[in-house]
Amino acid sequence: MVLRTDGTNCDRETFHAFALAGGEPRMVHINQLRAGEEKLADYHILVIPGGFSYGDDVHSGKILAVELTSFLQEQLQEFVDAGKPVLGICNGFQVLVRTGLLPAARMGEIRAALIANDSGRFECRWVNLRVEDTRCVFTRGLAGRVLNLPVAHGEGKFYTGEDTLQEIEQAGQVVFRYAGPGGEPTGDYPQNPNGSLNAIAGICDPAGRVLGLMPHPERFVERTQHPNWRRHIFSEPLGLAIFKNGVDYARQI
Amino acid sequence: MAVIEVRVTNRPFLPDPPGEEILYEIRHALGINTIERVRTARVFRFEGIDADTARVLAEKLLAEDVFQIYTIDAPIIRDARVVVEVAYKPGVMNPEAASLIKAARDLGITGLVAADSSREFGFYGPEISDRDVEMILDRLLVNDTVERVIREKPATLLISGLKGHTAVIPLTQMKDEELMDLSRDSLFLNLEEMRAIQDYFRLTGREPTDCEVETLAQTWSEHCGHKTFKARLVVNGKEKKPLLKRLQEATAAANHPLVLSAFVDNSGVMAFYDGWAICGKVETHNSPSAIEPYGGAATGSGGVFRDIMGTGQGARVIASTDMFCFAPPDTPREEIPPGCLSPHYLLRRVVAGVRDYGNRMGIPTNNGSVHFHRDFRAKPTVIVGAYGILPVERCQKGRPRPGDLAVVIGGRTGRDGIHGATFSSGEMTHRTTEVNASAVQIGHPIEEKRMADAIVAASEAGLIRAITDCGAGGFASALGEMGEETGVRVWLERAPLKYQGLKPWEIWLSESQERMVLAVAPENRDRLLEICRRLNVEATVLGEFTGDRRLLVTYGEETVCDLDMQFLHHGLPQRVLSARWQPPELEDPRLPLPENWEETCCRILGHLNVCSKEPIVRMYDHGVQGSCGLPPFGGVNGNGPNDAVVLTPLPGNPAAVIIAHGLNPVLNRIDPYHGSLWAAAEAVSNAVAAGADPAELVLIDNFIWPFPDEESLGALDRAVDACVDFVRATGMPFISGKDSLSSTYRGTGGLVIKIPPVLCVSVFGRLPDVARTVSADFKGPDHTLVLVGKRHLPEMAGSVYYDLAGYLGKNMPRIDLQTVPVVWKILHRAIQEDKILSCHDISHGGLAAALAEMCFGGQVGAHIAIPADVRPDYFLFNETAGCFLVEMAPGVDPAMAFAGIPHLVLGKTALSTEIAVERGGQPLFRISLALLKQAWQRPMNEVFGTVENRG
Repeated sequence: MVLRTDGTNCDRETFHAFALAGGEPRMVHINQLRAGEEKLADYHILVIPGGFSYGDDVHSGKILAVELTSFLQEQLQEFVDAGKPVLGICNGFQVLVRTGLLPAARMGEIRAALIANDSGRFECRWVNLRVEDTRCVFTRGLAGRVLNLPVAHGEGKFYTGEDTLQEIEQAGQVVFRYAGPGGEPTGDYPQNPNGSLNAIAGICDPAGRVLGLMPHPERFVERTQHPNWRRHIFSEPLGLAIFKNGVDYARQI
Repeated sequence: MAVIEVRVTNRPFLPDPPGEEILYEIRHALGINTIERVRTARVFRFEGIDADTARVLAEKLLAEDVFQIYTIDAPIIRDARVVVEVAYKPGVMNPEAASLIKAARDLGITGLVAADSSREFGFYGPEISDRDVEMILDRLLVNDTVERVIREKPATLLISGLKGHTAVIPLTQMKDEELMDLSRDSLFLNLEEMRAIQDYFRLTGREPTDCEVETLAQTWSEHCGHKTFKARLVVNGKEKKPLLKRLQEATAAANHPLVLSAFVDNSGVMAFYDGWAICGKVETHNSPSAIEPYGGAATGSGGVFRDIMGTGQGARVIASTDMFCFAPPDTPREEIPPGCLSPHYLLRRVVAGVRDYGNRMGIPTNNGSVHFHRDFRAKPTVIVGAYGILPVERCQKGRPRPGDLAVVIGGRTGRDGIHGATFSSGEMTHRTTEVNASAVQIGHPIEEKRMADAIVAASEAGLIRAITDCGAGGFASALGEMGEETGVRVWLERAPLKYQGLKPWEIWLSESQERMVLAVAPENRDRLLEICRRLNVEATVLGEFTGDRRLLVTYGEETVCDLDMQFLHHGLPQRVLSARWQPPELEDPRLPLPENWEETCCRILGHLNVCSKEPIVRMYDHGVQGSCGLPPFGGVNGNGPNDAVVLTPLPGNPAAVIIAHGLNPVLNRIDPYHGSLWAAAEAVSNAVAAGADPAELVLIDNFIWPFPDEESLGALDRAVDACVDFVRATGMPFISGKDSLSSTYRGTGGLVIKIPPVLCVSVFGRLPDVARTVSADFKGPDHTLVLVGKRHLPEMAGSVYYDLAGYLGKNMPRIDLQTVPVVWKILHRAIQEDKILSCHDISHGGLAAALAEMCFGGQVGAHIAIPADVRPDYFLFNETAGCFLVEMAPGVDPAMAFAGIPHLVLGKTALSTEIAVERGGQPLFRISLALLKQAWQRPMNEVFGTVENRG
């Protein structure tokens, strides 16, 4: 299920990415879920795509997070507890954090935040991401690799208290870090485009089935989407593997 | 019930990026050094709830405990020297208010009747003076047009008002002076036009309503009526065809096989592949942007997106472009005329407006440019374009049928934007900001995004017969235009309003954004309303198309407008205008050769019209929709500029759209004929450099001109002649266009400032395969470099090189219309045959700038040789459009690839970090790329204060 609402704007390319990865995506508007016309339980994998849900008013992703927590808490929690994978990209990541599904997979427990970039502005650029060795189902077989993917956000600085930070580090929940060209994590602008703590670009829940990340893997599922495809650097579009992993995992359950 | 306040701020030990941004501007733009720190807070106000409920809202919605703190009805920045709050004025729509109300409802909170939000600034520093604070508020934080400082808690958030009424204007007995008094400041019609209105009502035997007079003024405004472009012209004593007619006839004569719709719809349409069509439209928003740059630019983008959405029976927007002209950002304050904003502020705020609208809508902004000239200091030029995709079977302009319903969808109507059409047709004066405060508003991109989704859904379901947007002139323009052939009956009291108190004519003329009107067959009404309801889009049946060719508008029992469509659309007297053209008296300078080549090259690269605009581009989301096949900046480190954008709008399909543009206002000061040819040649060259097929490109014109007095009109006449000649020589037709002829400023004491006339030519086209395109970054060392195209080196007038020496010059680049189409054709063929690794078009800064940019992108050096018999400075800095610098694939013979067109082998790329130049076998100079790059990146880094140089 590609979940849409007012201001979602990366839904079509996310849909395409899942289709390319062998999935059978469907677009569902949150109004359909609220009206009971569609049920989360009928789906195997959920993605909250990027965009500016409700204009990112108050905080990025906040109004949608409040809506999900108010009306769909049960359905969502059941979906996650049933072991079905959830992916949040950019605004979707912000929503997952603001519902509590990340980092602890518990709705209503907000323990981290994505806050305004240190640069104070929206940044659109390609960055290097180191894939950590984790239980995350979306990055199977990718550990240790350096992916090149675009970011496009104004509020992407991963921030949390010292305790939570240690907890997610120790539990191996940090899936992606902003990195230099050699894969070393970095706090330097612009390689780390927002000033995220510990260079964190994406995290998963303890079970590794809920993944949120600020970069946009759906924008690199075709070779010619890379700004330098003419330089023949990559043999494959690096974002696609994340969707393939998600679809493959969802098929098994 | 009382208003309750919640204030939220970041925990004190965390950074405050908005505060740091403002501090940067205070220091750099205002030169105030007494402020040591700025902290910001959000202020939320609610009416109808108690303190306990406010606490729930604060904790569940407004403040996140992880990084924020809040207070209720109490200050939150307590230790600052000064705290000020800036809010939207009442009646200016705050887009956040609706989200606050929605989220409160989702949280189960009842009783909330109104909500608002604003921002508070705390200034720290012992030495801060009142004058500093006033200056910061005045120049940086408060735009009087839409914002105000809140000094005490408001008693209520509700905007109250009684129903307005329609007034009758005793027009038929007015004397000429009285007619002109009525026209001034709001109608902007001339005496002849006012008399035509008077005659109509004398014949009708009654006095007009305010609504009727306003409707006529709007429809007949320069902005909507294009009176100058339709006028009979007498040029230097000889009568010529109207400008618009010449352009349209040239397009018709070109008879391009891919053109599906030209000049008739909200955008021009050409064939794409597999049953799809693509469309393009470029608009200006100069006047609103001059007085409220953020809102003006944002709503400019919003408006041009709606032009695309309102093409055929509805299109999906796939790209946004932006071209700006400003005065240099460091123009001293005392040189900015009264009533005008500083160019530093304008540039930053215009960019922010385009950024926020496009990014939020999810439309990639990926082609644009910024130009600087001192004479834009009174009125900037803000050009915004948009492109879309739609099925061929639904790409022709729709016509309502009698009995069809007129359905308005999208946002509500308020007082905002009233008089936008007439206002933008008037000249700007020192009174402009005072009188026309209501002519600008804040955009609401999410409202438009919802509406865009609904339109695509309704279009796919075949429910739309005709569609147009409520742009300048609001309902009056949309319904007046759609109903021209049929007539239309409107029940104005049905229009959803933001607040009460509007007079009927204000509802009718309001330019509230994010609204469109659809003509829908009655049997499709319910399905359309259902689609809208599911996507949270408000939809209302406002009227019905009739067969009586009248425009009949009622408000309850009142008839507010009853006009004959024939008079409304054809009663405007055709103007007869006289134009005069005389070449200006200019001379070419005799410049010595540069003594210090390194310094000269750095100054060229650091010129405002050459320097890198990357800090701007990085704030635009150019990758959304996953369609970008050639980004604005690419290369090894992502900082090498490309000439055009290439998009693949159909996921999984390699078919591509290519978009580029060209303009060079200063050349039009020398000769608008050759300046306009340059702009068109530059636009096409940008597209061809990336791989476009010149046989499959179409053009869009935008004329932004000083007020058309005899002299400016003479210049316009020459520019249009150039466009017509260009179409004849190349076969590329203009299929859409717009003119904005009011960029003259008249101040007190006889101060008159005319902008350099701007012709912006945009170009778009199709390519079967994105993989057959090239970028501008060098791909490696030891590759042959070739200069392709025809130049006359002494044609240096208008160049950056002359400008740096303080000259405009006379002998300007003249595009050879015989040669340039052949150059494009052969270059295109070479790209298709994979003979070319990279290609960059030569424009501002000449060959030197193109070469440097290609080196930056590829992170390789170059070694080139200048022939002994030419001036090396002219060779390096000549700016003739239609020329290219090309990196050849290994093993390709340039003489074979470019047989039949002018070309010159220049040298090779090199595994080095410098550019080495020799002349006649002797070294002339060498220069480090790092140094050049620093000079090239510095100007915009300074204006946009990127993190690196904040240090």
